[in-house]
Amino acid sequence: MSASVDGPDLSASRSHVWFFGFFAKYGFLPVILIALYVGFGLVEPAFFSGANALNIIKQSSYLIVLATAQMFVLLTRGFDLSLGMVVSMVSVASSLVMAGIAPNGEGPVIIALLAGVFAAVAIGAMAGAVNGICVAYFDINPFVVTMGMQGIAFGLATTLSGGFPVLDIPVLLNKGLAQGAWFGVIPPPVAVCLIILAASYFVLNRTVFGRSLYLLGANSRATEVGGIPWRRYNMLAYVICSSIAAIGAILITARAGTGEPSLGGGLVLQSIAAAVIGGVALRGGEGRVIHVVLGGLLVTVLSIGMNLTRVDGFLQEIVLGLVVVGAVFLDRLRLKIRL
Amino acid sequence: MTTPTNTVADAAATRKRRMSRILGLGLLPILLVTLFVVLGLIEPRFLRSANLINILRNASFLMLIASGQMLVLIIGGFDLSVGAVVALTSVATALSMTGLVSVFPEAQLFVVLLGVMAGLAAGSMIGVVNGLTVAFMKVSPFMVTLGTLSIASGIALYATQGVPVYGMPDEFTREFGRLRYLNLPVVIYVTFGVLVALWWVMNWTRLGRYIYAIGSNAHAARVSGVSTTFYIVVTYTLCSFLAALTGILLTARIGSGEATLGGTLMLESIAAAVIGGVSLRGGVGRVELVALGALFLALVTNAMNLVRVDSKLQTIVIGVVIIVAVGIERFKSRGKIR
Repeated sequence: MSASVDGPDLSASRSHVWFFGFFAKYGFLPVILIALYVGFGLVEPAFFSGANALNIIKQSSYLIVLATAQMFVLLTRGFDLSLGMVVSMVSVASSLVMAGIAPNGEGPVIIALLAGVFAAVAIGAMAGAVNGICVAYFDINPFVVTMGMQGIAFGLATTLSGGFPVLDIPVLLNKGLAQGAWFGVIPPPVAVCLIILAASYFVLNRTVFGRSLYLLGANSRATEVGGIPWRRYNMLAYVICSSIAAIGAILITARAGTGEPSLGGGLVLQSIAAAVIGGVALRGGEGRVIHVVLGGLLVTVLSIGMNLTRVDGFLQEIVLGLVVVGAVFLDRLRLKIRL
Repeated sequence: MTTPTNTVADAAATRKRRMSRILGLGLLPILLVTLFVVLGLIEPRFLRSANLINILRNASFLMLIASGQMLVLIIGGFDLSVGAVVALTSVATALSMTGLVSVFPEAQLFVVLLGVMAGLAAGSMIGVVNGLTVAFMKVSPFMVTLGTLSIASGIALYATQGVPVYGMPDEFTREFGRLRYLNLPVVIYVTFGVLVALWWVMNWTRLGRYIYAIGSNAHAARVSGVSTTFYIVVTYTLCSFLAALTGILLTARIGSGEATLGGTLMLESIAAAVIGGVSLRGGVGRVELVALGALFLALVTNAMNLVRVDSKLQTIVIGVVIIVAVGIERFKSRGKIR
């Protein structure tokens, strides 16, 4: 008898522990995400359709790629404000390369695509290297460096394209990287996103470099004392950030079917918002891949849901702002629960 | 009885102190003067009074908003929402004036006054929200002001649906917007007054000293009995108030309420403050240098317009200038520590 009395009591306390442990680990995000999904579905039944679920996953993968890029820098207690404009610059430059080799898809299309992707990553890595060298070796504040780089990248993007979209890129880019499905099941942006997430997970959790990034953000002095080449690692974080952003730029270019100099306008703040809503700390040293996925999903669910329920576009901006503040507030609460 | 050698030593000491005070201002004044002379030599139109007044006026808007940004940076914070506050103020001022004009068609001055007050109140409200959220929830100022940036510009766009608001009283757009005194636009006087007041506040009042103290070491300030939450709220409100003031002056100048006003001002204000030597880590910064930083940015932009640098290339140049300016500053301070 006594056992049966003790039983529920024990399990209650265990579930209590589990309950708080879950929140401390993942925050309130999964709950909010499900609540939002159900809420929008009740208002607009079309939201529950399979096509919409696929659409949410597809659209969020673009944001998740960029937020993952941003996370590498956020971990080191840095910032990348130039991310959006680097996306614009890479989009224009790689489109010009592709259009130069195979205008309108006439010519060696495969070579054109490969050259375009190669150019994108190379340009992205270069922009990241400039950011990283200024931050890591010259000790200039990341905010200032990437703000300057934002101006530089924007100028280059508009100068290269003359301010107009680059139209004559091969159609195959759009067909292969934005529409349809790889192996008949998985949409290309989702596949690329998953590959990047898996690689990031491996780098962040299983390599010395990745673990050092966490230490660098949490206690940069400790990395120095510990004999870790932190300047090089810090620089590499920016290079990786911009390279991933460049891959994101290719995906977005493929979706749009044109190289757009105005592509990256709102992407910086969105990428930071998605990462931080997910639980990546702005104070550095904290953040995991799953956080970025949750944050990216939340922002996308919110925006698609508001579109489907026909919320005014300007009102959506207000809602997003409230969500950002609310998410950061909940993040503080999560920290308190854990302590 | 001071011996002659003593006076010489005294004079040398004063000279040394004076020199160090001039050097303490950094490279910026020297850079400004050089830029000024070089521009005057290669482009005679630069020195025309119309152009100089134009530079001063453009710099004034930036100085106002950058000095507000400086306050927040010194206290160890950040304000990304200043640009959106400018937009919100512009829309609030224009909407309340056009609304009131139909109610009181006779009392234009009254309408203008109420409209200006509505604008200032709307803008400052954002600052109060920023300050309260940062101070009480201890949330990262970057995220808070990112949120209010989105909220403020969302409200401005929603209220106007993105369409400029016309129909403000002539007293505001014509008389006030184009008012000149001794051939100088009224904006320059307002800015000068604000800068002097801020200089006084930062150097001679308790508020100023506490702002520096909280920025250098918030914990130490709190332990020594400074109500940090109160001063943080005041600082964010002041910053938004100055942004709102800029918004009203800009609205008067262009003659309509625009929800897209001030889009670039957020980054420019931080750039001007940082070029002026304000530390992003808090605790360091001087109004006079921030004003020079704003003047420098305005000067560079004007120079590029005069020598017809493509507007797309201009953003590249400004980007490089920001990085280099801060790099030099950083290099100098590194020498000082060692």
